[in-house]
Parts: sequence; structure tokens; C-alpha cells
Amino acid sequence: MSGPALRVLIVEDEAFIALELECLIEEAGHVAVGVATRSQEAVALARDLSPDVALVDVHLADGPTGIGVAQDLSARPGTTVLFTTANAKRVPPDFAGAAGIIAKPYSERVIRAALAYVAWRRHGGASTEPPDGVVLSPAIRGDAAPDPDLPD
Amino acid sequence: MIGLDAPRQAEASAAQAGDAAHGARFADAFRASETPMVMTDPGRADNPIVFANPAFCRVTGYEEHEVMGRNCRFLQGPDTDPAAVARVRQAVAQGEPVQVDILNYRKDGRPFWNAMTLTPVRDERGTLSTYFALLSDVTGTRQAELALMREKEVLARDIEARNRALQAALDQQTALLHEVDHRVKNNLQVISSLVLLKARRAQDAACREVLRSMADRIGALATVHRLLYTLDDVSRFELRDFAADFAIELEAGIDPERIALTVDVEAVAVPASMAAPLALLMHELATNAVRHAFPDGRRGRVALTARREGEHLVLEVWDDGIGLSDAPANPEAFGRDLVGMLVRQLRGSLVVEDLGPGTRAHVVLPLGPDSGPGR
Repeated sequence: MSGPALRVLIVEDEAFIALELECLIEEAGHVAVGVATRSQEAVALARDLSPDVALVDVHLADGPTGIGVAQDLSARPGTTVLFTTANAKRVPPDFAGAAGIIAKPYSERVIRAALAYVAWRRHGGASTEPPDGVVLSPAIRGDAAPDPDLPD
Repeated sequence: MIGLDAPRQAEASAAQAGDAAHGARFADAFRASETPMVMTDPGRADNPIVFANPAFCRVTGYEEHEVMGRNCRFLQGPDTDPAAVARVRQAVAQGEPVQVDILNYRKDGRPFWNAMTLTPVRDERGTLSTYFALLSDVTGTRQAELALMREKEVLARDIEARNRALQAALDQQTALLHEVDHRVKNNLQVISSLVLLKARRAQDAACREVLRSMADRIGALATVHRLLYTLDDVSRFELRDFAADFAIELEAGIDPERIALTVDVEAVAVPASMAAPLALLMHELATNAVRHAFPDGRRGRVALTARREGEHLVLEVWDDGIGLSDAPANPEAFGRDLVGMLVRQLRGSLVVEDLGPGTRAHVVLPLGPDSGPGR
């Protein structure tokens, strides 16, 4: 792993997916700080835990509320939001403030690579190629204002 | 020629003009004509009718004496288009000819469509002397046109309604497809997570390895589903996109210092029905080579190629590893059985050559009539 450990919040209503993500995050040397299955829970956990990264599904236990969660969480300084969704078409063109989309079904490699990429950028690492399997938002791709959560 | 006023007066002045017989013949011809004709005198107050032939009287239902000296506007009625009247009025005011379809009324009140040509007539000095109008009862044609127009409107509305219904049905189908697509992808993620969770907890290394390899196969299927429906044509699947994705996953699991992997897959849009078995087949062949051809830290190369040859897809996996004869016996040989089953399912043929050292698996698969060249 490159750079210090990231504190990751999982926003996912499928228990098995969330549990496997927790294991994977820990295995990759990061810290899974919590799992939220509903939008309000996600916002409350983010407020209490101030995660570095939030992996957010579009469809949560209370409906397609992941977009709103991404908007809320990405507005927090210091939190980078990545969508993990099988419904990328639902994500608005500005990615609701999220830095990127990881399309489900994803492989473990993509999650590892995405977290490593975020860690690199957060800690001022040399510019690296964007990870394969992650669609970066227009803001991150560099054709718009730089994302305040991902200092170059 | 027709004189300043009307044929009657033309007849009267015929002697002076010296062409009385000529003028009378013209007047007779106008009277005998089946085309309704009328002449007015713009030199007199309110431009009155000074001549109307019997055909005009037949069409309008008026006697000659009833129309003489009157302005033509008595032919207008409640449904006469004011715009058509205005056009005639403007042409008269400017002394220009005009052609107009106008709704006129007979003496008995029945309307008729009059296709009228109004021509200003000037004398030798260029003075406007007469207006000459030819009438034509086009009620039949006009009604047919109207009926046709109404029919067209009804048809257009009908087509529009059908289009709307079709679009609504299509929108619903598209929404359903997206919903099912979303569920399949999500379920594949759940299945993959379940297998990986079990693999993490397995105490036995062999068991862990089996579960990991199953997770890899599920991963190959998952990649297929992620890439399905990304082309405009949902019935096709782009093999090159799959190969690119698959190569990255495969490379992530090997030491590039030890095994060099090359993937050369042409753009081939295969039928969507072939996508899952074909992806699994590529996965099994390539994984077998990477896993079994280089035991004990042996170094080497693996090449995966796929290209279209006519109606067939030719898939080859080559390695310069230990070869079949030197490979340790594998009593389970699940991967090999899987390859056989998949090739049979795809109605293809498989030849495995022992290159000693090295192995080449050569697969030929029929693409079917609905396959085409890729992007």
C-alpha cells in the first residue's frame, strides 16, 4: 500500500457486499470505520467519524438516496466520495460531488487500486495514472475546477 | 375587339369601328361559351356588371337582368373568406390580374367554390376600361380536397397516437431492461462477495484456492455483465473490451517478471448469447496456462489471441511452459472439463497441441449470422 491508511465509510445496503468490502479494505491496509445502509445513517456516521473516503451505493435501504448522500458527504472538507453502483446511469453528470464511479460488479483489484489512488492524491503523491475500472468525475479529470478534497 | 364598355355597346359602335361583324362574332362566342364570364366597368360608380353570359347565369342562378348594374359582391355570403375578398379588392385597386378560390353563393343561397380569374383590360391608350372575370365551379374538387385533407389529419393524428403508444411501450421496456440489468449486476456482486468471504475464512489452503478460483470465474461472468448493453446494439457484445478488462485482472494475479502476458484480440461484436460462455472459455484457457504451465518458479510467456475469420472466431492461447506431457497429473482437471463443455456449448472445435515445451490451444467457434465486425 502507498501512503498512510485511509479511514473508509461504507454506504451499502447489501450485507454481504458491505462485509466483504470491510475485509478487503482492512486487507489493503486501510480502516473500515463504519457501514451505513440508509441515507440518514450515512450522513450521521460521516458527521461522527469524519471518514477520508466514503464508498457509496446509489440504491440504499431507503431507495435511490445514494446521490443525495454523495452530495452531502462530498461537501464535507476532507471526505472523498466514490460511488460503487450497478446503476451508473443514475449518477448525474456532475457526479453529485463524487470523485468517481466504480461500476458493479467490480473486482477486488479495482477497489484496492481506487483506494491507493485516493491515498496518493491526498498525500501529494506524484501524479499517477487514474486506476483502471474507475470512471473519474469531470472535476477530477481536470477539465473543470480542481476538487478541493483531492489536492494535487 | 371588345370595346370600352360591353359587347352590346361594342355592337352599337361596330359601324364606326368598321369591324362590326368581327365584334359581333366575339360577343356571340362569349355568350355561347360554357365558361361563366362577367365584365365590369371600373369607370362607373361601384364597378358594376356590364356583361354576364348565360353560363354565368346558370352557375349563379340569377337572371341576366338581375345582375346587370350590380357590383359582384352580391355573390359573397356568410362563409366567404374575408382574406380572399381582400385579395380581389387589392388587385382591383392596383389594376392587376388575380386568381383566387372564393366561396360564393347562388341565388337560392347554396354556396359554391368559385375558382376565379380576374383580368384588367386596357384600351389602346392604356386606360383601364374593363374587368373581365372567368368563373369556374370547383365545388366538387374543393370538397374532395377538403375530405382528403381531413382524412390526412385524422391519419396523422392516428399515427401520432400510435407513435406515442409505441414510445411509451419502448420506454417501459427500457426501464425494465435497466432494472433487470441492475439486479443481475448487484446479484453477481453479492455472489462474488459471498464466495470471497468464505475464502477468507477457509482454514485449508486448498479450499481457499478452490474458492478463489470460483470467485475468478464469477468475476469473468461479472465483467461480461458489466460490458453488456454498453453498445448501441444490445444484442451484441464487444470481445475486445472484455479481453482488455480480463487481461488487467489476469495480469494483477501474476508476477510480470516471471510470466509475460500478451493479449491481442480483434474488435469482434459477438452475439450477446455467446458472451458468457465465450468469456468463461477465455478465462479457463488463459488461467490454465498461467497456473499450470510454469511450475516451480519457471519463467515464460503466455499469448492470448482472438480474430474473426469469415463466419468463425479463432481463439488461441499459447504458452512456452512445460507442455502437456511433462505436466503433473491432475485427477480433478475441472478447468480442462470446463473448456470441453464450453466449446461443445458454443458448437466449436478445440485442438490442444503439445509443443514440448509449450502448449497451444486452438479453438474455432461459429459466430452465427447475427455477428458483425466490431467498432
